[in-house]
Amino acid sequence: MSQTKIPVDLILSKLAEDAERAQSRARKASEVLLDDLDTELAQTAYEVVYQEDRVKLKHYLPRTKICYKTPLLVTYALINRETMLDLQPGRSVVERFLAAGIDLYMIDWGYPTRKDRFLGFDDHINGYMDNIVDFIREKHQVEKINLMGICMGGTFSVIYSALHPDKIKNLITTVTPTNFDTKKGLLHVWMENIDVDRVVDTYGNLPADMMNLGFLLLNPARLMIDKYVGFTENMDNKQFVENFVRMEKWIFDSPDLPGEVFRQFIKDCYQGNKLIQSKLEVDGKRVDLKKLTMPLLNIYGKYDHLVPPEACEQLVHHVGSKDTEDICLNTGHIGIYVSSKYQEAFAPKIASWLKERDALPEKRAPRKKAPATKSAGASRKALQGKKTPKKSAPKKAGPKISRAGALPETTNG
Amino acid sequence: MNEKIDDPFGMTSMVNTWMKSMGDLWGSGAGQWGAFPGQQQAGTTAGNSTTPKAQAAMAATLKNWQSMAGAMATPASMTALFKGSGAMPEVLLKLAQTSMGSFMEMQQNMIQRVGRMGDSAKAYQFQDIDENMFRVWTDIYEKEFRQFFQIPQLGLMRTYQEKANVVADKYNLFQSTLSEFLSLLGLPFSRSMQVMQEKLGEMAENGELTDDTKVYYNMWVKVLEGHFMTLFQTPEYVETLTRTVNALADFSAARDAAFEDMLSLLPVAKKTEMDDMARELYELKKRLRKLEKAQK
Repeated sequence: MSQTKIPVDLILSKLAEDAERAQSRARKASEVLLDDLDTELAQTAYEVVYQEDRVKLKHYLPRTKICYKTPLLVTYALINRETMLDLQPGRSVVERFLAAGIDLYMIDWGYPTRKDRFLGFDDHINGYMDNIVDFIREKHQVEKINLMGICMGGTFSVIYSALHPDKIKNLITTVTPTNFDTKKGLLHVWMENIDVDRVVDTYGNLPADMMNLGFLLLNPARLMIDKYVGFTENMDNKQFVENFVRMEKWIFDSPDLPGEVFRQFIKDCYQGNKLIQSKLEVDGKRVDLKKLTMPLLNIYGKYDHLVPPEACEQLVHHVGSKDTEDICLNTGHIGIYVSSKYQEAFAPKIASWLKERDALPEKRAPRKKAPATKSAGASRKALQGKKTPKKSAPKKAGPKISRAGALPETTNG
Repeated sequence: MNEKIDDPFGMTSMVNTWMKSMGDLWGSGAGQWGAFPGQQQAGTTAGNSTTPKAQAAMAATLKNWQSMAGAMATPASMTALFKGSGAMPEVLLKLAQTSMGSFMEMQQNMIQRVGRMGDSAKAYQFQDIDENMFRVWTDIYEKEFRQFFQIPQLGLMRTYQEKANVVADKYNLFQSTLSEFLSLLGLPFSRSMQVMQEKLGEMAENGELTDDTKVYYNMWVKVLEGHFMTLFQTPEYVETLTRTVNALADFSAARDAAFEDMLSLLPVAKKTEMDDMARELYELKKRLRKLEKAQK
């Protein structure tokens, strides 16, 4: 019989060393935690140029000469806050867009209260978004603007662009779910069975705490244990603590989700998968993806546990546009925007993609607005003559370009 | 002889004695009330005409109690009373039998569970999910206890009592479902620990044990994460999660309804009233915006 040799003495001495290190770390950590910490989010200067109810439009003050003729509007999700794109100086998508000379606008959806429970897709897309787009078009005297959507904001942007294709020059979707018929993401599995009517009828809006708990339950081992173990191991490092607290602030700064938006998102998208089949209806109008004829850049993360690649990658195959580009990055849902490695690739890629398509000016004639329900069709007809000829499309973006993993690879997040 | 068999503890004579003493008590009380009016009348010359009537009513009531106690103390009444009370143990026995049946079911489950404890943990396998313990408790609640909260309520306060019962019922249902859910969430922890023990055993056998505790922690977190990921995709988990969310929503709705009743006594607007107003405002704004857009 062979006896197993266990280096008990080594293990015990290592444990003693660890305990000493932990003690010294705790001493330093108390100094760090009691010190002045810079944990401010969203420090890039902006002004609110438009407001309707709780919804605000931020216009970031240019830092350099604007090099783009068409302004860019960023639409974030109604879940969490758009401050994620401007976490901190040096780690900000907003900063990079400004540095590239983009005239940048961003929607701040605010914090819905109980009175907002009845606001659905139509109110957000044909209401707030359309008014904001019109405001920017009016301000810049342009016929079309560039639109970039993030996550659910991307879904809204796709719907908006299909309903108002005459107002959007280029569309960028990032980690945007459009195909919900997949079992890859846990959200897709769980949402299939949820009794959304019961939840919305009871709570009005979907409470943010309930949502956050759901997100934490997607990976409790990492998000509820390992993350905080990592924090205790580094809490004597001021910069680490500042970054960690900043991220915590962002994660748990969650507005409630308007009840009707949640109901429609679950029923029509997660349970009905109507968007990708062009069967979704908003305010009685069908969202036909074939009407997405503008150039489309679709970016998503390979290791995204919330919106898996299977939920994003089909979009380019269902749109009417012949100028599409599909990029799958080796990162997760948030890593695309906050990981230092992708900071250097993601925003510059978008900036260069837009630059290539910004060549032709689209000066808009003084607008004479028709009723909202008719304006889309009317303008489209009027614009057909001005339509950018296909031959002027950039060389890289030939018909149905579809590239994956064009940017450098890195690990999740 | 027969009397002794029917009433081995002498209950009849005991109750008889008590009834007689109660009769005496009511009788003396009635007597005192009879004497009291005279004194009172002397002191209330101002002529409070209601006082004698009330005293007379009280005296009459006490006399009634005395006569009722007397009547109940007769041998015939006592026999009838004990015949009726014989039904009570039967009811209790029936209740006990049904409850015991359920507890036996739970005990059998526990025995089965104990029997399974010796099985080695199969890494990343959740076919034999052992949340049955809590499921059985939920079943017991639904079969045996729930009915008590559904007894029809009567009278002026029936609506409020009924709502209070619904709150209690929904709360109990939520708690039992939550217990099931939490027990499921606990499974990956216990299983990952077992897997770790096995892994450590293997490492020890192969002489691969390291003195770096972080290595063991990383190994455990990875195993735990794997177990969670597997669990989260099982139909059992999805079903329990859905039931827990539904139970929480049901409880919240019942609680809100009960609170609304209380709020109606206070000078504050209720949630449903605010919702109605918000809906009206929403519809008005929507119509206004459409008109504005149409005008442009």
